[in-house]
Amino acid sequence: MTRAIAIAAALTLAAAARADTVNFDLNGHLYTKYMYQNDNTQGCLSISNPFWVDNIGGHNGACTEFELNIKARVSDKVSAGVRLQSRWGMLWQDWWENGDLKPGVQDTSGESLGMNHAQYIKLRGAFVRLAPPIPTVKWVTIGSTDFSMWNEWTIGKARYIDRDNGDIVMVEGELLPDRMLSYTTGAMALPKLWAGPGWQTGLKDSDPLAALYGTDWAFALKLDSRANRDFRLKLVTTLVKDWEADRNSPFLTGPASAARGADHSVALATRFRGLNATLDAVWTPASRDWMQLSGLIAASSNYVNPDYATNLVRNGQGFSPVVFKTDCPMSGCTAQDLANGLGNSVSSNAIAATALLELFDPFKSGLSVKLQLFDIGSEYNAIMGARREADVLITDGIIAGGFTRGGQLPTLNIANEFQDWDEPWYESCIGWRGATAILEYSSGSFKSTLEGTYIGYNTSTGVDQFGVPVPRDVKNQYPNFLYTNGFTDTTAFTADTDYANVYDRGKDPRSVYAEFQDRRTVLAVLTGQFLVPGFRGTPTLNFKAKFVNDYDGRRQDRKDDDYRGLMYLGMASISLQPTNELKAVLGYEYSFWNETARDGSEEAGFYGSKTARNTAHLGVTYAFGGALFSYTLEYFNKYLRRDRRAYYDMEWNVWRAKGTFEVGW
Amino acid sequence: MAGCATTSPTTPSTTAAATAAPAPASASGGPACSGSGAFTFPDPVGDDNGPGTYTYPTDAVYKPGSFDITELQVVPSADQVEFRVSVNGRIEDPWDSPAWGGNGFSVQMVFIHIDTDHKPGSGVQDGLPGTNVRFKAEEAWDRAVIISPQGAIRVNSEIEQKAPQWKDRIIVPRVTRASGRTLIAVVDTRALGGPPQDSWGYQVLMQSNEGFPAKTDLLTRKVNEFEGQHRFGGGTDYDNDPHVIDIIVPPGGDPVQKQHEILSKYNKAATTDVKPADLAVVPMVYPCAK
Repeated sequence: MTRAIAIAAALTLAAAARADTVNFDLNGHLYTKYMYQNDNTQGCLSISNPFWVDNIGGHNGACTEFELNIKARVSDKVSAGVRLQSRWGMLWQDWWENGDLKPGVQDTSGESLGMNHAQYIKLRGAFVRLAPPIPTVKWVTIGSTDFSMWNEWTIGKARYIDRDNGDIVMVEGELLPDRMLSYTTGAMALPKLWAGPGWQTGLKDSDPLAALYGTDWAFALKLDSRANRDFRLKLVTTLVKDWEADRNSPFLTGPASAARGADHSVALATRFRGLNATLDAVWTPASRDWMQLSGLIAASSNYVNPDYATNLVRNGQGFSPVVFKTDCPMSGCTAQDLANGLGNSVSSNAIAATALLELFDPFKSGLSVKLQLFDIGSEYNAIMGARREADVLITDGIIAGGFTRGGQLPTLNIANEFQDWDEPWYESCIGWRGATAILEYSSGSFKSTLEGTYIGYNTSTGVDQFGVPVPRDVKNQYPNFLYTNGFTDTTAFTADTDYANVYDRGKDPRSVYAEFQDRRTVLAVLTGQFLVPGFRGTPTLNFKAKFVNDYDGRRQDRKDDDYRGLMYLGMASISLQPTNELKAVLGYEYSFWNETARDGSEEAGFYGSKTARNTAHLGVTYAFGGALFSYTLEYFNKYLRRDRRAYYDMEWNVWRAKGTFEVGW
Repeated sequence: MAGCATTSPTTPSTTAAATAAPAPASASGGPACSGSGAFTFPDPVGDDNGPGTYTYPTDAVYKPGSFDITELQVVPSADQVEFRVSVNGRIEDPWDSPAWGGNGFSVQMVFIHIDTDHKPGSGVQDGLPGTNVRFKAEEAWDRAVIISPQGAIRVNSEIEQKAPQWKDRIIVPRVTRASGRTLIAVVDTRALGGPPQDSWGYQVLMQSNEGFPAKTDLLTRKVNEFEGQHRFGGGTDYDNDPHVIDIIVPPGGDPVQKQHEILSKYNKAATTDVKPADLAVVPMVYPCAK
C-alpha cells in the first residue's frame, strides 16, 4: 500500500515536472522476476559470480528491481543525467531486512544480512554533456558511459548490467566537414573489478608496498571518415594502462633522505599495458546497391609485469585473463626454467583480420549470400573488448544451441556469468581461421538460411624438426581455464568456483589454449521460419538443425588421444498469437553429442562420452495497458553416459521457470 | 484478427487477386508499376536528415544509412501483401531482438500510411503518435502498417494505449523481418480492406525504434535540438518538429530539396502547446495513379 502511494506520488510529481520543465525527462522502470527450479538453491539469478560468495545467485526466489532515470537540459548547450537503481539481490522473502548489519551478531532471520539484502537505491550513473565553443569540438561528455563508441576488438560495449559502470572524459568533433573526418577521443577510468580481482594486486599480502593504486586509465581515439557515400573508413586505437606504485621508489623503501633520492614523490610502475587497434572499411557501391564489402584488420599487444600482477595461468586466481608471455625458451632457458615459469616477461602480440562480402538478393529472386573470411591470431586479446552481447563473426558458432543463442568475441575475458538460463552464451574466437558461407532465401512468409563453416585454429601446436610435438606452456604462460575439451553444455551449466560447469566439465567458453592441439571444426546449420497459412492466430513454425564435427588430434605422435566430437541438434517450435495481447510458443529440442576421448589427460588416457538431451519449452507473453508479463517453462532430460572405467553416468530431470513482470513510465 | 490491430475491413476483399511481381524501379528513377497495385518506388540516397538538419544519435548502433530509405516495394499476392522498405545499409540487430520477443532487427521503425480512397473527410489527418506530422484532408490515411522490431503484442499494447481511436486502421503485420538491407512486412489483404489498387497513395515515415518511449510516442525516438547517445539532433527540444528522418515525396523536381522543404514547414514558435496546425504536412504519394 505504501509502495502504491509512493509510486502514485512519484507519477504525480513526474507529470508536474514534465509540464513545468521543458525537456526534463523523468522515467522509471519496475522489473520483477520469479524464478523456479526443482533444486535446493535460493536466489534470482541462474549463474552468479562464482568467484566470491554473494546473495544473488540461485534458482528459487522472487525479486523486484526499480530504476529511475533523470535527464535534464541545464541550458541550450549543457545537459545532465543520472540513473538511480535499486540493488539486485533481495528476495521477496527478505522483507524484514533493512540493512542494519551488526558484525558478529545474528538477527532474527538466523543470519545478519546487511545492506546487500536491503534493496537500497544506488547512484549507478551520472553524466554531464556540453557543447563548448571550441573549434572542431561538438561534444564533451564527463561521467558514466557504456563504452559503446569503440568496438569489440578494442574497448567494447559493456554488458548491460555494467552499462554505467565506466566513467569517461570524452571529446567528439569534426576535423573536416560533411563527415569527411570526425573524431572521438576519451580517457576512461579502468575498472579494477575485473582487471584486478580481490581489489588488489594479488601481491599485497606478501609485499605491502605493492598495494593497488586506483590510478588506472584507458585511452582511446577513433577517426571516422566518409570520403564519399560509397566508402567508410574507421580507425580505433586504444591503450589500457594499469599503473602501480613503484615498489622500489626511494620514498617508500626507507628514510625520506634526499641522499637516497627520496623526493617525497612515488614513482609509478606499469602493471599491465594493453594496446589494441583496428582499421575497418565498408564499401557499398552506389551502382551496385545489392552488394556490400566490409573488412577489418586488428592488432593487439598485451604486456604484464609479473612484479606487480599475480599470474592467473599459474595460480588460477590472479590478474585478468591474459597471456603471461616470457622469452623462455627463446632466451635459452632450460626445460626446468620453463617448468618453473622463469624468463623475462615480454609482450604478447597478434593481428587479426576479417572480410565479409554480402550480396543482398542480387537476382531479385529472394536469395541472398554472405561470405566471411576470418583469421584471428593465436595471441590476439582485447582485454577490455566486449565480453558478451555482441558478435564479430556471422557463424552460428559452436556454442549456440536451439533455444540458446550465442556469439563469438575476440577476448579471453568472455563473461557468461550474472545471467539467467534463457540468455545467450558467448565463446572466444581467438585463434580461429576459416570461412563461413550463408545462403538466405526469403519469399513472402517463408525464410530459411543455410550455413556452412570451416574453422582451423592458429592456436594449434605443431611439431619440431624431428616430428616431436611441441607443447604449449599452459602452466605458466597460456591460460587454459582448466577445461579445454568437449562441447559446453550451456543448458545445464552450473558454475563452480572455477567458473566451469560443476557436473559436466565441458570446455570453458574462454578456453582457447591447450598443451597439445591439432584442431579443426566443421559445422552446418539450417534454419527456417514459416507462417502456416489458413489458420487464425498467426501460427509460425520455426526450426533449426545443426551439425558440428569438432576434431582435435592433440599430440600428433599419438592416435589414442584424438578427440572427435559430433553434435546433432534439431529444434522445432510453433508460436501462436490468439489475441492482440497474448502470444505463446511451444517447442522441442533434441541434441546428441558423441564425443571420443573427451575427458582425461595425456598421462592417464582419455575417455569418451555420449550425451543425449531432450528439452521441452513453453513460453507465454502477455501485454496489457503498458504492463508486460512473460513466463517461460522448460523441462529437460539429459543423460550423460561416460566410460565406466573412469567416470559414472549422470542424469538430469530438471523443471525450471522464469517469469517476469515489468512496467515503465 | 491475430497479430493485427485492425478489426473487420471496411471494404470487401477480393479473394482471387492475381499475384503481381514487383517491378524494378524505372530507369528514370521514378516509380515502376506493374498493375494490380504492385509497384516499386525509389527514394534518393543521402536524404536521411529530415528537413536537412537532422543528425543521427551518437551511439555506434546507429550506423550511417540505417534510416535512409532507398526504395518502397508493394508486392500483392493472392491474399497477402508484402511491403518492402529498403535502406542504405545492412540492417543489423545490435540489441538482440529475440531476447525481447522482437523481429530480428533493432533500431529501425517504419510507418507506412496508406490512403485508399483519396477523398476529403475520409481517413485520419494526424500522423501516428510520435511522428509530429499531418496529412492534407484529401490525402488523409485510411490504413497504417507498422514495421517495428518489437513483437506484435508489444506494438498492439502501445497502439491500445496511445492510438486506441485508430486501432482499427493500424495494421501490425503477420510477419515482420529484415533481410539484408530490406525490412519486410507481410499483411493480410483483408486487413487493408482489399487488395492494393493503383489509385492508392502511400507515405513512408522512417523512424527509430524506442523501447522506452515517451507517454505520447508510439515506440518512436525523439528528435532534439542536439543529438544524444540515443536521440536524433537538428530539430527542437519540443514536439513541434517532425520526428521523421526520411520520407518519400511525389515524383518531379529535386526530391531531396522537396523533402527538406516539406519537413521544414512547421511552427518553430510553438513550444509547450503544440497544435495540429503547427505541424509539418507530409504528402501522400500516388505512384501508379492515372
